Amino acid sequence: MDQLDLLKKDWKKQEEALPKYSFDELSQLIHKKSSSIVKWIFIISVLELVLPHLVYLFVDYDTSMQHYKELGIGNFITGFYIIFYIVIFYFIFRFYKNYQSISANSKPKELMQNIIKTRRTVKHYIWFNLAMVPLVSIVILHSTFKSEEFLNQLPENFNMAIIWVISIVVIVIITLLLWLFYRLIYGILLNKLKRNYNELMSNGNEVLQNV
Amino acid sequence: MTKELEHKFVTDLEQHQNIIHKVCKLYTNNQDAHNDLFQEISIQLWRAYPKFRGEAKFSTWMYRVALNTAITLYRKSKRTVQTQDFDSVLFKIQATEYDDTEEEQLRLLYKAIRQLSDIEKALVFLYLEDKNYKEIAETMGITEVNARVKMNRVKTKLQKILNP
Repeated sequence: MDQLDLLKKDWKKQEEALPKYSFDELSQLIHKKSSSIVKWIFIISVLELVLPHLVYLFVDYDTSMQHYKELGIGNFITGFYIIFYIVIFYFIFRFYKNYQSISANSKPKELMQNIIKTRRTVKHYIWFNLAMVPLVSIVILHSTFKSEEFLNQLPENFNMAIIWVISIVVIVIITLLLWLFYRLIYGILLNKLKRNYNELMSNGNEVLQNV
Repeated sequence: MTKELEHKFVTDLEQHQNIIHKVCKLYTNNQDAHNDLFQEISIQLWRAYPKFRGEAKFSTWMYRVALNTAITLYRKSKRTVQTQDFDSVLFKIQATEYDDTEEEQLRLLYKAIRQLSDIEKALVFLYLEDKNYKEIAETMGITEVNARVKMNRVKTKLQKILNP
């Protein structure tokens, strides 16, 4: 392409016209604050990993456990907590390993892949948390609705189906809100990167010309 | 990090700063944005410097980190898009008035390049820097065939922008 060759010629000529920073200016520059996406990926991912657990700080564990035992699901909840925390620590470990692999030294393709991999780990973590919300809620609600304490408070001939429908709608809404919130953060952080990554990875079907 | 390491890094940076300025020239449209991106690339280079083991030339390594920053790590791109929209409107008006002078052709070419995507700009940049397909593929982390296909696609796109 003649025009690109013309541009190449001009590109070289323009080198002399480029600005020049002095040694001292460059020394100061490298210590300024970075506005890199990586810092935000780290901060937001850590918040996403930690925030769901802050809720538990406000829960009186002993009283809740006593309540679950009375409902007959004490063993289920204990087993659930054990598995839940094993999985959470696995996710935190994976996130840490992935985050470490993000380096400006990598080739652009690898850098993009590593950032996407890190976010994918957080995405899987969010999916895991989102799946747990309905699972645990339904088990707890099921035992609560069967308990005598609860049934005694209901008017006679009350249709339990109504309570179930309302409960499930509320669970679905909460889960959806959490999912939307996550999609928003994910989109803000990764839209540009995903677009560039897909473009870099796409294989053109064009006929090779001028090669 | 030791003072000597910093001194060595800044000396190398001073010597090769043209590479960063050229990347900024392609990815930004005004002086403020240029300075901002220059700063971010310098910070990223300094952070990555301890892991630079001299396997590649300092300049080759700089291409990689500078492009990574412009394409992936740098987030403030809104300003560029707004200016770009303005430029493309201006470009359409100018393009109808055919002017064959070299200067005019160059001006239109630079405007056309500003309309390319981040990845396309990276390919054009490496092409203008006289890199062959093997080096372009190596720098971007893609295959040589993919680099050729993409570069051809960019050339076609530029032709379309210049001759709508």
